Amino acid sequence: MRPRRASREQELDRELRAHLELEAEAQQDAGLPPEQARYAALRAFGNLTLTKEEVRRMWGWTIWDIFIQDFRYAWRILRKSPGFAATAILTLALGIGASTAVFTVVDSVVLRPLAYHDSGSLVVAWERVRFLGDEPVGPNPRHVDVWRKRATAFTALTVVRNMAMGLSVGGGHPRLVGTVLCLPNLFEILRVKPLLGRGFLPEDGVKGHDKVAILTYPLWQSLFYGDPGAIGKTIRIDDTPLEVIGVLPAGFHFPNANALRSFPSRQPKTGLPEPAVFFPVVLDVSQIEWNGNYGNWIALGRLKPGVGIRQAEAQLTAIQAQVLREMPTRRDPGALRASLEPMQEAVVGDSTTGLWLLMAAVMGLMLIACLNLANAQLGRALARRRDAAVRTALGAARGRLLWNALAENLVLAAVGGTAGVLVAVIGVTLFRRYSPVDLPRLAEVHVNVTVLLFALGLTLAASLLSGIWPALRLLSTDPQPLLQQNSSRALGSKPGHRLRTWLVGVQVFGCTVLLLVTGLFAKSLLHLLHQDKGFETEHVAVAEVKLPPKLYGAEQKRIAFIDAVLENLRAIPGVQAAGLVSAMPLEGESWIEFVQRVDRPNQEGPLVNARWVSPGYFEATRQKLVAGRFFEERDRNLNSVVLSEGEAKALWGSGNPIGHQVRVLGRTHTVIGVVADSRGTSLKSAPARMAYVHYHYRPPYTTFFLVRGTPGAEAFVSGMRQAVWKHAPDVTIARVKTLDAQLSDSLAPERFQTWVLTAFGIAALLLAMLGIYGVLSYSVAARKQEIGVRIALGATRGRVYALTFTEAGVPVLIGLAAGLIASLLAGRAIRSSLYGTDVVDAAVMLIVTGLFLVSAAAAAFVPARRASCVNPMDALRSE
Amino acid sequence: MSNESAGRIQLLQGTLDMLILRTLLFGPAHGHQIARHIQRTTDDLLQVEHGSLYPALHRLERRGWVAAKWERAGKDLKREFKYYRLTPAGRKQLVAEESRWKKLTGAVARIMWPAEES
Repeated sequence: MRPRRASREQELDRELRAHLELEAEAQQDAGLPPEQARYAALRAFGNLTLTKEEVRRMWGWTIWDIFIQDFRYAWRILRKSPGFAATAILTLALGIGASTAVFTVVDSVVLRPLAYHDSGSLVVAWERVRFLGDEPVGPNPRHVDVWRKRATAFTALTVVRNMAMGLSVGGGHPRLVGTVLCLPNLFEILRVKPLLGRGFLPEDGVKGHDKVAILTYPLWQSLFYGDPGAIGKTIRIDDTPLEVIGVLPAGFHFPNANALRSFPSRQPKTGLPEPAVFFPVVLDVSQIEWNGNYGNWIALGRLKPGVGIRQAEAQLTAIQAQVLREMPTRRDPGALRASLEPMQEAVVGDSTTGLWLLMAAVMGLMLIACLNLANAQLGRALARRRDAAVRTALGAARGRLLWNALAENLVLAAVGGTAGVLVAVIGVTLFRRYSPVDLPRLAEVHVNVTVLLFALGLTLAASLLSGIWPALRLLSTDPQPLLQQNSSRALGSKPGHRLRTWLVGVQVFGCTVLLLVTGLFAKSLLHLLHQDKGFETEHVAVAEVKLPPKLYGAEQKRIAFIDAVLENLRAIPGVQAAGLVSAMPLEGESWIEFVQRVDRPNQEGPLVNARWVSPGYFEATRQKLVAGRFFEERDRNLNSVVLSEGEAKALWGSGNPIGHQVRVLGRTHTVIGVVADSRGTSLKSAPARMAYVHYHYRPPYTTFFLVRGTPGAEAFVSGMRQAVWKHAPDVTIARVKTLDAQLSDSLAPERFQTWVLTAFGIAALLLAMLGIYGVLSYSVAARKQEIGVRIALGATRGRVYALTFTEAGVPVLIGLAAGLIASLLAGRAIRSSLYGTDVVDAAVMLIVTGLFLVSAAAAAFVPARRASCVNPMDALRSE
Repeated sequence: MSNESAGRIQLLQGTLDMLILRTLLFGPAHGHQIARHIQRTTDDLLQVEHGSLYPALHRLERRGWVAAKWERAGKDLKREFKYYRLTPAGRKQLVAEESRWKKLTGAVARIMWPAEES
């Protein structure tokens, strides 16, 4: 705009000059001498300056010109105070960046509809069975079959089942993929069309025609490198050949059943890979028992237009009553009901609350940033009051003055906002790459137009919030007294100062609470990491191997496999111990059983986690033997059991259990050993009671091999794969990792929580420091004269330092004290998330207080030093 | 050229725009040409201060009734002039102003010389 205006001026000059020259020439032609002709031309023209003024008025002062003029003014002002500008921009960039990043996640996960066509009418249907506790449970497919026949509220209903299976192409080793067993109408219900090939046809659900599969886009990319010729190729799923008939679009995601919100909490929530292969299942419902098979399948449906979810639910519940009446059953389920939840809610589930909480926290941070900026701007406004008064006295329009003051904030916000968006983009990228939190729809998280609009709105709001208050104060000043007063004495008025001090106090308060909570979480995490686990994770690697039921249906085959692999593992150079266990360490309790003393059959047996282990398992994990012995080769046919110490105490008290017999897993076992309690199921709960039996009895299909050795666990990872596949190339190795990594992963949510809080805490601390710095430096600038007088009257440097520090000290101490008290309340709210950490923790409080005082002192030091360096002569003369 | 000649008529407010538009109907012209044309056609009767032409021209340009372009002209094409040209919108405006002017003069005439109207 600026060059345009300048060039317009030049053009006008040229145009008028040309006119005058022409006129002068014409007058000369009429006979006048050159000099006179020039004057005559000027006379005929009239007032040249006035004409230009008039023309300029015709151009008009557009709103745009005013904008530009004020922005330029603001820009100049800011460039004159780079320190303030940098502080403000950094503050805004941090605030806007953090809020935008969190909003991106909230938007993608919570707000955005699922990527299915008209996803609002998709519902997940659950069954509620009295004898299973009336909680939502995956429905019996036979019941769903009845629903499909009788319910009129749905355009269609279907059942699906999520599994993890071994996938192989050609002669390669199988790898673990998420699979979805579905009826052919699944994609019709989701209204998703394949990118390549075709969807399922009703015939695909008929026996003999069901050996077809549809792949997701990412799997197609990694298996066939995006080759359209993949259609018609054959893949093997758990050793069954399937023909690829279609590829789904790139943005398609299908949830795992156990990630849905109402998924029963008793069943494990993790462990299924993202669904990648869909294939039809031939479902002969007449083969499914009427009262059973709950929790394996989930039902999806699409509501007919105009049908409410409660209406549909009532209809299903009515049908359930019919099912109950008609069911020819031996075991009465008690009562049957059904419940529906919108698919969106089911998928997003419990993460909603956490995300909104995070959003609230980040907005709180943003508020602090704005307060901070308002605070600093308030100081600047006070310093500029005289300037504003002069303008007002000279007749400046109030609106213009207000706009003038706001323009500065808009400039700051624009730069800060742009930087903030950058921060957000980087933050979101990092979050997607490193987030250990099991967030639904994580792959869909990205910055989009909505997010950018949010950032823009936030930027405007921030600049208004931080600018309008100081600007209004600027306006509300009466020019008269101000102009009479001496400039520097009018500064730092009492009410303004009290206000700014308050703002600092509030910031310190919020920041203290945040830091204390962060401290508690950090301490809790440290406790989890360093507590006595009862086993050792260093130098141990673990491999999960799944045996396809088709090939390993016979127990003898599984035993042979385990024996051979253990032998191969022990042959790896450097391996000191190798063993087998039936469940991944640190992945929760599973396979819960009763244990009973054979000599006291009437005593209620306590519940234990049953584990199938091999000799070498305890040596690999280095669990401590309390009594008896570990498993040995001779236990193969001895029906031996090893109990955990807690379990042994529960059964025998202080007596010696070795040699006694217990009944577990439907068979009588002899207790050969007792191991010390360990937190092998979870670091976050008390040691679970365990019963270890020899794998020879009912060997598992999913096996976990552990090795311990000297070169370090990392080195064993590839060796373990070879050891497994050397014996059996047809089994699926689901994962191989170090036990350290497994431990770290099991604490990932806690670690993530602590990191996020730490980041927040640091940001808040920085903001508070900037706040203190801002207030003090303006106060010092405003009181320069007073300080000069004090120094002139004999105040020592120390006294001047004390003066400045005291000014900051009062709000900081009050805020700190209030924060410490409030954190007790906050601590109570988070108590359930803390492990081995008291809500009132003196060490954490001491550290936070110390940190805060040091930070506050550092922030106050620079202005205080400036105050102490005031030259009394300068200060007095500048009046 | 004398500056104070009796008998010259001050331009009525608002008529200058119309005169400029009418002048441009003959073809593009620069400011000096327009001023000269108005003077010449009215035998120097209308007193148009050359300076007053420019605010009017820039106003017309801003409203989109005329368009301007710098072009070389003069004896040896040495000098550039800002030529104004009537736009279609300007043409319409001219018609509108003309009919308004006719109405105005008609009405004035009816008051001033009622007898002649019959």
